Amino acid sequence: MATAELGHLGIAELGRRYRARDLSPVDVAAAHLARIERLDKILNSYLTVTAERALGEARDAEAALRRGDAGPLAGIPVAYKDLYATRGIRTTAGSALLADWIPEHDATCVTRLRQAGMVMLGKLITHEFALGIQFPGHRFPPARNPWNLDHIPGGSSSGSGAALAAGLTVGALGSDTGGSIRGPAAFCGIVGLKPTYGRVSRAGVVTLSWTLDHTGPMARTVEDCALMLQALAGYDPADPASSREPVSDYTAALGQGIRGLRVGVPRDSFFHDVSADVAGAFESALETLRRLGADLRDVSIPSIGSAPAFMVIMLGEAFAYHARDLRERPELYGDVLRDKLTAGALFTAEEYVQAQRLRSRLREDMHRALAEVDVLATPTTPGTAPAFTTVLDPNFPFARTNMPPFNMAGLPALALPCGFAPNGLPVSLQFAGRPFDEATVLRAGHAYEQATEWHRRRPPI
Amino acid sequence: MTVKPLDLTVDEVRERIRVAGVHIPEERIALVHGLVRDALRPIRAMDTREALTLEPAPTFDAAAERDRHGHR
Repeated sequence: MATAELGHLGIAELGRRYRARDLSPVDVAAAHLARIERLDKILNSYLTVTAERALGEARDAEAALRRGDAGPLAGIPVAYKDLYATRGIRTTAGSALLADWIPEHDATCVTRLRQAGMVMLGKLITHEFALGIQFPGHRFPPARNPWNLDHIPGGSSSGSGAALAAGLTVGALGSDTGGSIRGPAAFCGIVGLKPTYGRVSRAGVVTLSWTLDHTGPMARTVEDCALMLQALAGYDPADPASSREPVSDYTAALGQGIRGLRVGVPRDSFFHDVSADVAGAFESALETLRRLGADLRDVSIPSIGSAPAFMVIMLGEAFAYHARDLRERPELYGDVLRDKLTAGALFTAEEYVQAQRLRSRLREDMHRALAEVDVLATPTTPGTAPAFTTVLDPNFPFARTNMPPFNMAGLPALALPCGFAPNGLPVSLQFAGRPFDEATVLRAGHAYEQATEWHRRRPPI
Repeated sequence: MTVKPLDLTVDEVRERIRVAGVHIPEERIALVHGLVRDALRPIRAMDTREALTLEPAPTFDAAAERDRHGHR
């Protein structure tokens, strides 16, 4: 099989072929390493490639498959946003400050996926300290969007989105404080899941804003995200916010369809500044959901106007985390990032507390809306991926998106492709659900995905 | 104490920079002003007598067991 084909197979398909002895994890790992060698010169999605480790883990997976005691993720290639600590492997957080950090421990998520038999290909580029989409002055050069190299892949899990879209890994991990899993998923035409706050451990992942930070899987299909979530989810005493809520079976309900599922569309919000291309794709997606039997309803989230207070919490906490380094080693931060982080020092204690109170009200309103419906549906981003020339303007502000409200509420939210704009760039649909109800969010996404062809398209690279 | 206008001014941002003892270069003041002004608008618009007083983060059931030193 050609490496281009191998690069775009999913977890379930690879697993079937491994068990049929049609493919071997070693061959698949080698094919991915060859693709990275050839294509990543252009895309720049990887910061570190761990070829030797990948081949060693692939051999271990092959042995486990032969013994018959391998799980569904055995031998599946994965790569980690360079915010996740990896024992003995440089972990930079995209920063000059940590450019030489070699962690002594793996992040909990890395441990869990290694124990599940996944094969680590390497570490993926992240925007500096996971903040924003792309600023000038980064220590490391940016990843590029495989659909159009002049456009950004989104961020901050930029390498994760680019590598998946280009077939340079099968699974990836991202982190999401205000959309950093879902944004790259949207801009790169792949799938990203921000689970419920507390569902997946953040231990060993460099902090941006600890009451908003989430970790989660990214892949090319909803099913692949579900399979990875199954291995990632569960209590971790090393994360102070980790939940003891029992872990659901995330794949069991995937094939059940969505007949009768109540899908709420918050039309009084989430649609400001949405481009005509995105609005058109979103309305077509709703039509598909209706055709599949979903019960579509308009819902209201009265306090959505308080969502910009997100920035008070995010920047306030980020400044608190970085305060000492910003004062003692400011030259180790990118210029624009340093100034935006420093803005976190300009809020008062009262304002931070009021922002948290507004957040509580927003969370209550979302819970009320989700009492009437099973999931919410919105466009993930108002537009397609902007060009580098736009975002590398030092005065480019944080782009407004539809993602931060779900970080404020801590609810599970999934981004998946729902079309392409005339400029050839992907458009994305977002589903959000009740706390710990990832299974329903994934079921809605899977039903839509299986009824459409968007996830089968490949970038021209 | 007077009610604050909805929009933070550039002068207020400069004063906050001075009070916080941080440095933001002149060419970035407009950017930071926009950032802080937009973030504070809903807070300045809120009626602080009506808002909820709940836990700051949606931890749901994150009350893990700790010893008397706060360690898990």
